[in-house]
Amino acid sequence: MGIKMFDGNGAAVEAIRLARPGVIAAYPITPQSSIAEHLADAVAEGAIKAEYIRVESEHSAMSISIGAQLTGVRVATATASVGLALMHEVCGVAAGCRVPIVMPVVNRSLVAPWSLWCDHSDTMAERDTGWLQFYASTVQEILDLQLCAYRISEHEDVMIPSMVCFDGFYLSHSMQRVDTPSDEEAWDFVKPYVKKNMYLDTKDVMFINDLCPTVEHTEMKYQQMMGFQSAAQVSDEIFEEYEKRFGRKLQQVEAYRLEDAEVAVVTIGSMSGTGKYVVEQLREKGIKAGLLRICMFRPFPDRKIHEALKNIPVIGVIDRSCGLGGAQGPVCSEVKAAMYGESSKIYGYIGGIAGRDISDGSFRKIFNELLKIKDGKADTVSTWFDVEENAMNIREVETNANV
Amino acid sequence: MHKVKFYGIGGQGAVTAAKILSIAVSLHQNEYAITVPAYGHERRGAPVFAHIIVDDKPVLLNCYVYEPDIVVVFDENLIDMGVNVGEGCTEDTVLVINSGNEEMIQRYKDTYGFKKVYACNATEAAMKNIGLNIPNSAMLGALAHSGVVEIEAVISAVTESFGKVGEKNGKAAKYAYEHTREA
Repeated sequence: MGIKMFDGNGAAVEAIRLARPGVIAAYPITPQSSIAEHLADAVAEGAIKAEYIRVESEHSAMSISIGAQLTGVRVATATASVGLALMHEVCGVAAGCRVPIVMPVVNRSLVAPWSLWCDHSDTMAERDTGWLQFYASTVQEILDLQLCAYRISEHEDVMIPSMVCFDGFYLSHSMQRVDTPSDEEAWDFVKPYVKKNMYLDTKDVMFINDLCPTVEHTEMKYQQMMGFQSAAQVSDEIFEEYEKRFGRKLQQVEAYRLEDAEVAVVTIGSMSGTGKYVVEQLREKGIKAGLLRICMFRPFPDRKIHEALKNIPVIGVIDRSCGLGGAQGPVCSEVKAAMYGESSKIYGYIGGIAGRDISDGSFRKIFNELLKIKDGKADTVSTWFDVEENAMNIREVETNANV
Repeated sequence: MHKVKFYGIGGQGAVTAAKILSIAVSLHQNEYAITVPAYGHERRGAPVFAHIIVDDKPVLLNCYVYEPDIVVVFDENLIDMGVNVGEGCTEDTVLVINSGNEEMIQRYKDTYGFKKVYACNATEAAMKNIGLNIPNSAMLGALAHSGVVEIEAVISAVTESFGKVGEKNGKAAKYAYEHTREA
């Protein structure tokens, strides 16, 4: 083990290298591009002994990944934003064929308008595709989660692919110190890939992903659901083993100063550190604030969240995607479902869209609103906490002006 | 905790410099840093920002810098490009600027109220030592005067980050450090 310097994309590449993939197929897209580039460099330099297959799209990248991994090798790919959207169809194939691919996804907004910058609309749109989803909060955690994701995904009781999600620019381009296991230590943990159940072998042919009649389809979905149930248990075990080996604690959800908290926020991704910083500031003033960070979003750790938040009177849940047309943003909806039956007041917040910064000031504003609710001085919150007052006038066009 | 904001123009290596500053303090001073770049559409000639927070303990904050302790200006022309490098600054904010032009430096002082200014002709330092108009390594050398990073740490980080041209960049940083003056 040793301290190395990586930005988030570099940490993802390092984790991939440590897992020794046999085939790589990735299409570059901002802010993921340097993953595709550095993987190509690593193959060219012999640091990764893999076949690098150049593809013309993300749809092909995932298709090739599925086919290759079915032959019995670990594969590597990575994407972001509309690249993930273009993969959507084939993401379902990987999940349904139980091909346990581990894929870094650099979170970037979906169209339109075009944006290169961070929010979670890309991965949240994939939340029910049948993939596990982990959201990193630091560069260190990208490496840690990805190494664990191989073990969790490939576990015979799970057999579900993983997205290791991390915020574009806030993590992908942030250079941070990363405690990195040696090649041998990592390999001893990750272990060689072993194909299970379905495989492609020219000497022992098998038809995979055929048209499945109604009489079996529900059962196939039931099997996937059971895989997710197992994943909840297995990830706890793998995280524990990882901590024993490498000394770093990973958790499905991280409770931060929640024990006696009167107000709390629920966060996901790179905003979480800033939230903790503000919790510390408030605690210094004697305000009982806390934070719950969701690291594993699929399977959704509902019981752990319920347990962590059940005694907290006022809670704000921050979504970094809009959840258009939904009762709430996707994270808040799930947290509310997990908290069913409790008397906590839960408010959804939406912000940080398309790279808008979620600052310490944003958290102070949110906590101030939650504290007013707690003290009975308000009964609503701002919800879209960082939207400008003139939002409805932006790009307004006078009808028929040119006719 | 030091909050640092870099202002540059696409192609000058300001975002790379932010990453190298993180390497310098993390590997060579045993401190911690986060860097958040805020670039536009990754093209040459457009204003580029990078936000860096350095601390002797792990940095929780992972957002932009709104009240910088140190502002680093990679190109003196930014003042005429509609970029307000004085945003969020107080009179305690230190300015490190790539300029050998007295008039320009005075304009920065008058416009934004900077009291403590370190000036260095980093472009000249880069041309002399690297032969390219990429002032980022030189600006890190100048930045060492602000106290956020040691010059030895800068030279080590720059040298190991630039591969074949590492040594030249190290020299540019050292040269710039030696030719920085309090303005």
